[in-house]
Amino acid sequence: MHDDMRTLLNAYLDNELHGTRLLEMKMHLASCRECREELKGLRRVSDLLQAAPVPAFMPAERFVSNLSLKLERRTLRDRPPKPGSLAWWLVPAGLLVSWFFVRTVFTLTGMVTAAEATGLLGNTANWLGSGQQAIWFKAVTDLFGAGAAQSTLSTLNEVSVFGMNLLSGLLWQAGIIFLYWGWLVVWWLRRGPKPMKISTTPARS
Amino acid sequence: MASDLQAETERSLIEKAQNGDRGAFGELVRQHYTGVVNVVYRLCGEARLAEDMAQEAFLRAWVNLPSFHPESSLRNWLYRIAVNAALDELRRKTEEPMMDELMQMVSDTTPGPEAMVIASEQAAFLQEAMKALPEAARSVLVLREYGELSYQEIATVLDIPIGTVMSRLNYARNRLRELLITQVQQLEVDYA
Repeated sequence: MHDDMRTLLNAYLDNELHGTRLLEMKMHLASCRECREELKGLRRVSDLLQAAPVPAFMPAERFVSNLSLKLERRTLRDRPPKPGSLAWWLVPAGLLVSWFFVRTVFTLTGMVTAAEATGLLGNTANWLGSGQQAIWFKAVTDLFGAGAAQSTLSTLNEVSVFGMNLLSGLLWQAGIIFLYWGWLVVWWLRRGPKPMKISTTPARS
Repeated sequence: MASDLQAETERSLIEKAQNGDRGAFGELVRQHYTGVVNVVYRLCGEARLAEDMAQEAFLRAWVNLPSFHPESSLRNWLYRIAVNAALDELRRKTEEPMMDELMQMVSDTTPGPEAMVIASEQAAFLQEAMKALPEAARSVLVLREYGELSYQEIATVLDIPIGTVMSRLNYARNRLRELLITQVQQLEVDYA
């Protein structure tokens, strides 16, 4: 018991004992003269250390000025990637993936439309095509007959689909390009290092 | 402009400094300079050397700041760098005799008030006794007494178990007590 408590005297002196341990130590000190003497000695050492004079160091402002002359220039490129900065790379990557997705969808739509117009898909066209488009085809074919009018209408349909695809494709691409350049501008503004500012206020201890 | 900088939180200053903002780093140095140089001084015992070591510590901090996690304690991180820088320098200088400024103070305090003489001599003994401690024990003692770190913080800074912190602190204080108390009591008797 005595030896256990003795090893904890420093912790008691430094207020590092809590709860039951603290109570045990207080009770032990009340009954153990040897530990009280040792604690007194340790406190004396601590007081002497605290009372030791501190020399006059260089003022903080001068220290900072001297230090600033020796600081190596560092830019954002020197920084290892942080978890947060991953988002910066996900933005352009996401935009590029979106662009490829949109272009692929448009290309496939064009191919399906062309295949449908040439009858390559057969009955599958009704399954692949949208309900509205199938109804529209049926109505026009019924109106003009299934003969020569069908090829003309199919061509017109293909042109209109192509035009709509082209317009929406251009809008998509313009939006993506705008976002991409916006991201580049923000990134450029964030990365530039700023010159060192020397304040004249005293240092906080 | 200076007041604007002071109003910013330490975390925001750290993030700016990590992005290369020297002004923000200067403000962080200003805030932690006193603590760092004091800890280093207690390790090495020389004011000019302590300033050089503190400068070395802050230069290392600037280089390594990008890898610092802003959620951690900057003060503890700086102490860790400072202690390592100081110990590196001390190991390098082991062959050279260290000029103890406090010993110089003792010799300079010719017929002054007795209390001043006692204080100076006590300080000189203390510094000598500190130097007599092994580096590992001295580092723990300095971080506790002058860095005012908790045991857990010391364990983190020095990357050692908390039990080792306690045993090194026990050793350091007991050794200092042996070395100092007799001398201090003798001094007090001499000047009584």
